[in-house]
Amino acid sequence: MSRIPIPIQLVLLTVALTGVYTMVGQSVPQKEVHPPEVIDIASNISTDDMVEIGKDIFEGKGICTTCHTIGRSGALRFPDLDGIATRAATRIPGYSAVDYLAESLYEPDIYVVEGFNPGMPQINKPPIGLNDDEIMCVIAYLETLGGMATVTMDTPLVYTGSSSSGSEPARGEAP
Amino acid sequence: MKRKPPLILVGVLLFLAVIAAVRVAMYVNSKASYTAPIAATGEERTPRDQAIEDAAVAAQEKALERVYEEEEYRAFPRVGSRVAIWVVAQLHLLFAAFVLAVPMFAVIIEFIGYKTGDKRYDALAYEFTKLLSVSFSLTATFGAALTFMLIALYPKFTNYMMHVFSPTFLPYVLLFFFEAGFLYSYYYGWGKFGPKMHLFLGVMLNLVGTAIMFIANAWLTFMTTPSGISEHGALISTWEAVSNYTWMPINIHRIIANIAFGGSIAAAYAAYQFLKARTPEEKAHYDWMGYIGNFVAIVGLLPLPFAGYYLASEIYAFSQTMGLTMMGGAFSWLFIIQAVLIGNLFLFANWYLWLGMGRVQGAERYRSYIKYLLIIITLCFAVWATPRSIISTIEEIQSMGGSSHPALGYMGVMSAKNTAVNILILTTYVSFLLYRRSSKVPTVSWAKLGNAIQFAIFAAAASIVLFLGVYGYFVEATVRIKLSIPQVGSVLLAIILVTIIDVLLLRNAKSTTTEWGTINPVSQYLLIALAVTFTWTMGLMGYVRSGLRLHWHVYGVIRDTSPDAFTPTLGFATQVVSVTVLLFFALIGFVFWLAGLAGKKPTIEEAKTTPEAVVAS
Amino acid sequence: MNVLVILAVVAALIGLRFVKPGMLVWLAAWWVGCYVALRYGFSTPVPVSVIKLYMGIVTLSLTAYALADSERWAQVRDPLTAFMTERRYQAWLVVVALLIPALFAVRIYAQMTSDPQAPSFARTVHPAPPDSITVHDTEYPLGTQDNPYRHLENDDPEAFAGRVVNGRQIYYENCFYCHGDLMAGDGMFIHGLNPIPTSFQDPGTIPMLREAFLFWRIAKGAPGLPEEGGPWQSAMPAWEQFLTEEEMWNVILFLYEFTDSKPRAVEELH
Repeated sequence: MSRIPIPIQLVLLTVALTGVYTMVGQSVPQKEVHPPEVIDIASNISTDDMVEIGKDIFEGKGICTTCHTIGRSGALRFPDLDGIATRAATRIPGYSAVDYLAESLYEPDIYVVEGFNPGMPQINKPPIGLNDDEIMCVIAYLETLGGMATVTMDTPLVYTGSSSSGSEPARGEAP
Repeated sequence: MKRKPPLILVGVLLFLAVIAAVRVAMYVNSKASYTAPIAATGEERTPRDQAIEDAAVAAQEKALERVYEEEEYRAFPRVGSRVAIWVVAQLHLLFAAFVLAVPMFAVIIEFIGYKTGDKRYDALAYEFTKLLSVSFSLTATFGAALTFMLIALYPKFTNYMMHVFSPTFLPYVLLFFFEAGFLYSYYYGWGKFGPKMHLFLGVMLNLVGTAIMFIANAWLTFMTTPSGISEHGALISTWEAVSNYTWMPINIHRIIANIAFGGSIAAAYAAYQFLKARTPEEKAHYDWMGYIGNFVAIVGLLPLPFAGYYLASEIYAFSQTMGLTMMGGAFSWLFIIQAVLIGNLFLFANWYLWLGMGRVQGAERYRSYIKYLLIIITLCFAVWATPRSIISTIEEIQSMGGSSHPALGYMGVMSAKNTAVNILILTTYVSFLLYRRSSKVPTVSWAKLGNAIQFAIFAAAASIVLFLGVYGYFVEATVRIKLSIPQVGSVLLAIILVTIIDVLLLRNAKSTTTEWGTINPVSQYLLIALAVTFTWTMGLMGYVRSGLRLHWHVYGVIRDTSPDAFTPTLGFATQVVSVTVLLFFALIGFVFWLAGLAGKKPTIEEAKTTPEAVVAS
Repeated sequence: MNVLVILAVVAALIGLRFVKPGMLVWLAAWWVGCYVALRYGFSTPVPVSVIKLYMGIVTLSLTAYALADSERWAQVRDPLTAFMTERRYQAWLVVVALLIPALFAVRIYAQMTSDPQAPSFARTVHPAPPDSITVHDTEYPLGTQDNPYRHLENDDPEAFAGRVVNGRQIYYENCFYCHGDLMAGDGMFIHGLNPIPTSFQDPGTIPMLREAFLFWRIAKGAPGLPEEGGPWQSAMPAWEQFLTEEEMWNVILFLYEFTDSKPRAVEELH
């Protein structure tokens, strides 16, 4: 050991240690995160296409999967979305599943599922900032989790703060 | 024995040189532009020549008509703008951290020297300061390079930052001016001013330096957690933009981390000098200096995880989405790398303390504890580095029934990791206490009782941490998150209480001899390894702090539309970090070399006597 | 936890104490002990990536232990130095020098010749059904739907028996090729299938499910599975194209009858 001059020893040590840390960095899963792409949504697409687009937004641009899981149980930090369509209809009296989903996306802090902390951002505002069409597609996808998609691009959304009808549910009147 | 030339080394170097030469040759060859075979030297003009000429004329005419357009981005050649800014900013930060940290402990050490009248402390403070002046100019150089590169490469974004922060620029420049004044008068005025005046200069140097860092922190924290602006980005209040969510957490985190980093770099300098030293006097001096540097580093390291939690919780408070991007999304694996680094830091720091017992007479009675401490550290390290979702093959996933292991899954969650890091901190503190004890025998009448109380406090803190860690599995998320506060609190309280008792306990204690300079040389390599690890950790965590913004310059306000808007893989990021770290060490090696050239103060021989421990004496 | 393995490791380490081996042997013993405990000590095997991580930490810690004390280090270093310098070990040294690259070679060979692996997909076997399905233009609300002929079991046992017989006929005309003679999921076609068909004899299958769920699975088959069910993996045909609703309900009656089990009752949604 002592035969190698000290400065060279130290250079070797530094390079070796840095190399080890770089190797650790290479051994973890490698994933590039790309900025969201602009998705063109025509106003007359079918519900099935909406589900398709909604799923892409759910997993990509909307970064929903950062917090939400589908089909996990145990110590969760955020509600699991498996079978959400069935539960959504029962959450707020007078709200249909679609209305509840809309409110959860536009005004997430109004109804917080029991046992969880409020913390979801408003999806139509930055940094996620989906537009209304994209949110409609996400709702269509969410409906397929435990149900069938019913919305079209023209379905009116009713939730607290929606401009069309204010606080009084127009479509969600209980039968 | 005759010194043989290091044949193996020569062989390896030659081998590497040959490989490098071949690679360079291949690279040059592949990059050489195509040269057409030499044509016959005919005089006649081909239609092609005519076309080329026409195109050149047309291009010239077009250039004359061009109108001025504001550019959003300009590209940096080869590596791209992002990597260029990244490396320069990181180097600036590393040197700045060093320049801010060293005066802090230099002044404290000088003050101890002034109070105790022990000249060695004064000499040590001077030696630390000697490292400063070159580093200061390097900091300024990299700062200027960073500014110019921001203006040149990201003009639109820089313009926006000016819009928000223009009132802070003038104070920043003025403070920088004062910093230079105080630094050079502190360094060159050593021994020329009265001690009180000189200490005053040192304190002012620290105040000004901290103020500079606070201003710069406002800019970068604003980028992550903007406030004080309208929804469309227009400025409402500069003060609110400055005092955004993460400003104070970053200020605190950076001060503490700077101290740890500065201490470790200073210790690395001492280690280098120790290994080079020929005489026992020099060895003793640099052993001591390395010890002090490392002590400073550990003092900084212990509260650092807590400061990190504070920062993380503020990020969560600003935006859950951002918090989860950090801990659960794209960056979750970065924290596994960080766990490996921090685990190494703790292990190295403890290991150094254990080796340090070798220079103390009477430390043998504590040797047998080392293996238990080591086992605890290893277990905590393993828990802390356990990933939540595990890399596994299909067969493994099938047998686990998912991507988390039925048993190990419990270790990958926050409850377990908080517990592990708290226990790590306690264990490191115990190591330090054992080291401190090994050179002193208490003489007070209540020594036994005191020991028992200290032990009881440790046991209580450890059981509280463990209990809350286990309890965390049985409660909802809302409660679980808050459990880390009592965990941290009990550890900090235990450390403070035990320290107070220890100070009282060791009053007028019998000291055994500490033979400085007789430490196992392995310890000095550890000091270097600590410095490298600290630097690398800073690089990595700097990356996540900045990378968290994903495709935003200012989160949610100014979008990054450049080709570099994507977030690179962790593998790529770690490569950039490594290159930066190596560049930093090349430059800091240069600084050390220069500091070695500067004359040494002739006070080294006094270091032979036993120095007291710096703290708590 | 595989307690026996852990106990064996602990016993071996304790046993080693009586032999009083050198420090080098101790370190090696600890390393091997940790490896064995990690590799074989868990009833669900620990993934290789985690074992590597842990063994890295263990290696570092053992190095720290060996180097934390000059005497201990001497005990580790001296045998190694002797091995590398003394003449009597020269043959062994050559063997070791050759063995190291050879081991690497073996490892690389094993890696290169192992079968390629498809990316993994964690499939949910019984995914949540949709709210309602449409079969032959009739809408069935799956949440409340019951087998329309189940009530015959009490009301008209004879008609019920007739439906079961009809169900049996349909089963042995269509289903038994895959689901097997005795409904054990071991029909003659299963060698070509992955995942294999459900065994209805398994108490974790049809007794846990409601008849409406079976109706959905039979009518819509694999193509009707949601994403998490991996529709491209299952080979179940959509039987609505071949059978009437009545036939499907009858075959469901037969499934429960043959396996002597009861469907899961409707429960209140809360």
